[in-house]
Amino acid sequence: MTTTNPLPLTETLAPGDIDALVDVVRDCCASQTPLYPIGGATALDYGRTPQQPGIGLSLSGLNRVVDYPASDMTITVEPGITMGQLRETLAGERQELPIDVPQSDAATIGGVVATALAGPRCYGLGTIRDYVIGISAVDGRGTPFKGGGRVVKNVAGYDFCKLLTGSLGSLGVIVQLTLRLRPIPEKSALVVCDVSDSEMAERILAALVNSGTTPVAIELLAGPAWQNDPVLGDLPGGAAGRIAVGVSGTATEVDWMIEQLQREWNQQHVTGVRAISDAPADELWSRIVEFPAADAPLVIQSSVRPSDVTGLVEECRGADEACSVVSHAGSGIILARFAEVPNDDVARLINNTLRPAAVTADGSLVVLSTNLGNQTHQTIWGGRTDATVVMESVRRQFDPQRLLNPGRFFRD
Amino acid sequence: MVTTASPVTAELTAALRDVLGDAAVLTAESDRAVYECDGFVIDKNRPDVVVFPRSSEQVAAIVRLCNEHNVVYVPRGAGTSLAGGCLPVGGGVMVVLTRMKDILEINLRDRYAVVEPGVVNVWLTKALAGSGYHYAPDPSSQGACTLGGNVATNSGGPHTLKYGVTVNHVLGVEAVMPDGSIVEFGGPSQQQFGLDLVGALVGSEGTLAIVTKAWVRLTRDPEGYRTMLGVFDSIDDTTNTISEIIAAGIIPAALEMMDQGIIGALEEAFHFGFPLDAEAVLLIEVDGLEAGLDEQRDQIVELCKKNGAREVRQAADAKERQLLWKCRKQAFGAVGRLSPSYCTQDGVVPRTKLPHMLRRIKEIGIKHDVRIVNVFHAGDGNLHPIVLFDERDAEQTKRVLLASHEILDECLACGGSVTGEHGIGVEKIDFMKKMFNEDDLAAMARLREAFNPQGLLSVGKMLPTSGACGLEQKHPGRRAAL
Amino acid sequence: MSTTSPLPGSSIDYQLLLDCVHCGLCTAACPTYVETGDENDSPRGRIYLMRGVIDGRLPLDDHVRGHLDLCLDCRACETACPSGVQYGKLIEPFRIEMEQLAGSKAKSDDWFHRYILFGMFPYPEMMRKALIPARIAQVLKLDRLVERLGLLRLLPTPLRRLVQMLPPLKAAEPPLPAVLPAKGKQRARVALFTGCVSDALFRHTNWATARVLQENGCEVVVPQSQGCCGAIHFHAGSSQPARELADANVAAFDLDECDAVIVNVAGCGAMLKDYGHHWDDADRSRRSDFAAKVRDVHEFLDELGLIPPTGRLDLTATYHDACHLAHAQQITQQPRNLLGQIPGLTLKPLPETDLCCGAAGTYNLTQPEMSERLSRRKLDNILSTGAGVVVTANAGCLLQIAQQARRGGHRLDVLHPMDLLDLSYRGLSLP
Repeated sequence: MTTTNPLPLTETLAPGDIDALVDVVRDCCASQTPLYPIGGATALDYGRTPQQPGIGLSLSGLNRVVDYPASDMTITVEPGITMGQLRETLAGERQELPIDVPQSDAATIGGVVATALAGPRCYGLGTIRDYVIGISAVDGRGTPFKGGGRVVKNVAGYDFCKLLTGSLGSLGVIVQLTLRLRPIPEKSALVVCDVSDSEMAERILAALVNSGTTPVAIELLAGPAWQNDPVLGDLPGGAAGRIAVGVSGTATEVDWMIEQLQREWNQQHVTGVRAISDAPADELWSRIVEFPAADAPLVIQSSVRPSDVTGLVEECRGADEACSVVSHAGSGIILARFAEVPNDDVARLINNTLRPAAVTADGSLVVLSTNLGNQTHQTIWGGRTDATVVMESVRRQFDPQRLLNPGRFFRD
Repeated sequence: MVTTASPVTAELTAALRDVLGDAAVLTAESDRAVYECDGFVIDKNRPDVVVFPRSSEQVAAIVRLCNEHNVVYVPRGAGTSLAGGCLPVGGGVMVVLTRMKDILEINLRDRYAVVEPGVVNVWLTKALAGSGYHYAPDPSSQGACTLGGNVATNSGGPHTLKYGVTVNHVLGVEAVMPDGSIVEFGGPSQQQFGLDLVGALVGSEGTLAIVTKAWVRLTRDPEGYRTMLGVFDSIDDTTNTISEIIAAGIIPAALEMMDQGIIGALEEAFHFGFPLDAEAVLLIEVDGLEAGLDEQRDQIVELCKKNGAREVRQAADAKERQLLWKCRKQAFGAVGRLSPSYCTQDGVVPRTKLPHMLRRIKEIGIKHDVRIVNVFHAGDGNLHPIVLFDERDAEQTKRVLLASHEILDECLACGGSVTGEHGIGVEKIDFMKKMFNEDDLAAMARLREAFNPQGLLSVGKMLPTSGACGLEQKHPGRRAAL
Repeated sequence: MSTTSPLPGSSIDYQLLLDCVHCGLCTAACPTYVETGDENDSPRGRIYLMRGVIDGRLPLDDHVRGHLDLCLDCRACETACPSGVQYGKLIEPFRIEMEQLAGSKAKSDDWFHRYILFGMFPYPEMMRKALIPARIAQVLKLDRLVERLGLLRLLPTPLRRLVQMLPPLKAAEPPLPAVLPAKGKQRARVALFTGCVSDALFRHTNWATARVLQENGCEVVVPQSQGCCGAIHFHAGSSQPARELADANVAAFDLDECDAVIVNVAGCGAMLKDYGHHWDDADRSRRSDFAAKVRDVHEFLDELGLIPPTGRLDLTATYHDACHLAHAQQITQQPRNLLGQIPGLTLKPLPETDLCCGAAGTYNLTQPEMSERLSRRKLDNILSTGAGVVVTANAGCLLQIAQQARRGGHRLDVLHPMDLLDLSYRGLSLP
């Protein structure tokens, strides 16, 4: 992902409070000016690049902690607070929001909710959709509305928390969020092994489903990016990649899981087994998390059945042998960073090869970023389905003039 | 929103029989009577016809026929709603999904199952027995309630503190839309792109579409359990213990509290040997890796004692664990021994507001001269105060209602919710205006409009709409398990 | 109101109806609801219908009648109910009054009920004699021929089903003597209830039960003037004949002379234990005293402490919970505890073990379609366990499951737990 702003902005406004923000939206509404909400500007190239000139709406002025009743393990914040600031605030109470995103010092919680991309710990701890329990937003008419509340269990009314999570700012500008939190685990570690080929990878991954351990992350790492790793060293000849299993909990639990996993893997004659913790583990973890943010001609994300992960990874590596992959394999999520796209023809690669492979595996595939020109809606998101038709009618209800982030997800 | 729906005609009934067969269409007065209410019995309305589809296609055909004839319709599962979620407001066609009851697929490698809406929650658990996996949401009604109903109401249960509610375990749904089309949202893979309509459909109480299939996530069985029961002399000590357990970084699988009123009833019924002067008992269960459990257990026992627990009982084996749980699970049955009738509420407050809330409930009981006992999901702050009364005493009944409403108002004043797991249905429609402002409700109405522009599906549910005001409660409900 | 005919249910304590808070937690425990998915065929639905009729809100029409008649009276709903609704005390009197009010239209007044069910079943000797032609026919394989030629179709349906129900009959065994001595040190003195159908069809099981009791240090007395427990009549709505049978049994057993009245058939046991509740008259306390002494054989032996048998039985079996044991008597663990002590025996869990097999007394004869559905469901569940032996403690279940297996062409041994324990004590294997 790039840091240059690809949006067609005429100006950028940064309201300091919700009232001021409502005024901006209402003004835009009156003048039918498109509005582009901006958080940490780390994911602006996610989705189709909007074409209609409009106003940038920076949320940087809305970055307060509204309420942090730590004993309730919830926090209410404004959307502009960065993931880094949030992490520091929570760490003071030995709590965390266990969502891993790249560039966390810049990325904001509002942006993370709006994009809802899964991180490695989604296997054991879920995604951001599992943590938002209250939300306030301003719709395309400039009307504020809210859903959920400040309690962890609540079924009153429609679940706007879910509806707005991942909505890419197309239904409303998020202005406040209440999140549920978790205690920071006492200890975390990674247990790593080598895999020689897809078949072996699938065998190990399938066995992990019945492992005696309870991992929080199951990562498959493949391609040149993982050949010479500062932490793991060089991949031995013949090895196609590695599997890294993240465990966390009390020190006793983590120590037991490290031993148990090593036992299980030894029984399966898995090679290159080793446990890493502390600083080296942090370093490897950070490389996994930051993986999709690196500059590359094309980065895609796909979500398939976990048992289809190795097949899709092969598909990617078959198209570009210099393609590197991080897969949250336990959850069937694949991030692939291409080094070379044949003939620079992204559309052809995606539409003719990769997406059909993902769809066959009952999954989906989207382009996270590309610097190989402006791509069509079809290429970035795939075709319209019955479900997207319903999404369009929801959009029409919340933003009838289609002013919020036009063109990014919807075909405006 | 439809203002005038048409009555069910002989023509529509005949058309339904053509599609579904005679055995799947009930029209006789005496056959329809039982469908006039669900677990919420305050208000009743008989559907004009009851149908039992066997496939998504049949559901779609029913919906199209209702549209053609401009007739309202409402889906129903096992009818265990405590909020009137299945009440056929306006009559019309009731679509009972209990004959769509197949578990279509269990995929352990990819950790999901595909089920039809009429599958009873516990059937899935039983089908998974021995596999090392289970379906986590286990509402107390799991022996009877259907997964379709669970999806509609976003059901919880005693294990939500650690494992989450239904929406955290639904990967995708197939739904029959109010225009009669069949649409899949999500599916067996984890991440959806675009709007999370699965998230919007779960908990929408059947007002957006009729879910005809669901992909649900399966959860690894915990390796072990440690179950404890703390006996306390004061409510404050009990709630402080809850806070300190959570603050210690422990996420119990269950944290259930019962107060003195309930203890007395349980003692009378089952003789667990609880001291009758104890103010509260706390049932605490941690689960997970054996390796970490003893440590957590010791920590919890110590916290209980530090906060003045008179006694902490520990289950040594599965049998003793069952015994400790028995007192929680039988609590509602035992309440029947205290009074001929009772009603419960489903309020939620932030956990730290529990001591305040329990004090207020006591005051409210004294103020309205009604007896209130408590058994609830303490870890989530989800209260189920039980108000005891005799429904033959009209004056007392009125006071029960006042007390119940005052409790819910207090929950809202604490920043909570009027329903943690039972849903709004028709019962709490009036409270929606207290929880949400007009703009919020208008946004909800717009979401419904996007799915359900015909306005024939599940009318009069969840949202207070102009004209069709909420139910005026004259009489509290009588409830069993929660 | 005086012009309208009296409504059924008038004898039911209305408070019992109010115990149901309409939560619906019973529904999925009900076999007929699980099959039809129609709430009218569920306990909550039936209570609602009965209350509707009693309140005068609903007519007692064929729809209501049909739903109430379809009830198996298996009482699974009572196990599931959190509010302690005594469903049996609602459906049983209601159906009796429904019968009485229907006059000659009553289902128990047809020839089948009059001559076969009520006329023959309660009298073991009569049944044994009636079975002689069947036994001869079986020996000569005539029954197969008759079935193959379709001659069975010439019989009235209920009678045809009755013939089909008959298991391969064992050679006639002598009746049990009046007293069987305890083996080893005497631990108890018990009276054995031998039943009517079971003594005719399963006399070998009565012998097995007696021998197992003897092995466990029990002296066994067998009162010779005992008879049918009356359950068949009572559940079919004929209260008076049932009361007469009950009183005959109360008179037949000398309670002072035994520590317990032992019964090995679930249906009979449930009935005997309920003698004190069914009739409110001068003899009620005598019946209550009798009922208080009744023990299911598994319940009794598990409590007494089984002397473990030593004969190996290398079998894979599964245990089916008879409704009248699991639900009416809440006995589920004891039979499993006993079976678990047989060396070599592997007990596989049976899916939906507590769902009725469709036998339900005479239900298989009066509601053949639903009975057939449930029985097929039960067999499918049994086959899914891979067990070659099904163990269950009720005569009806034994017949029903065995018949379903025979018809499906499955080799399946269907036995009473006492049969297996007896084999193990005697060091025999399955014939």
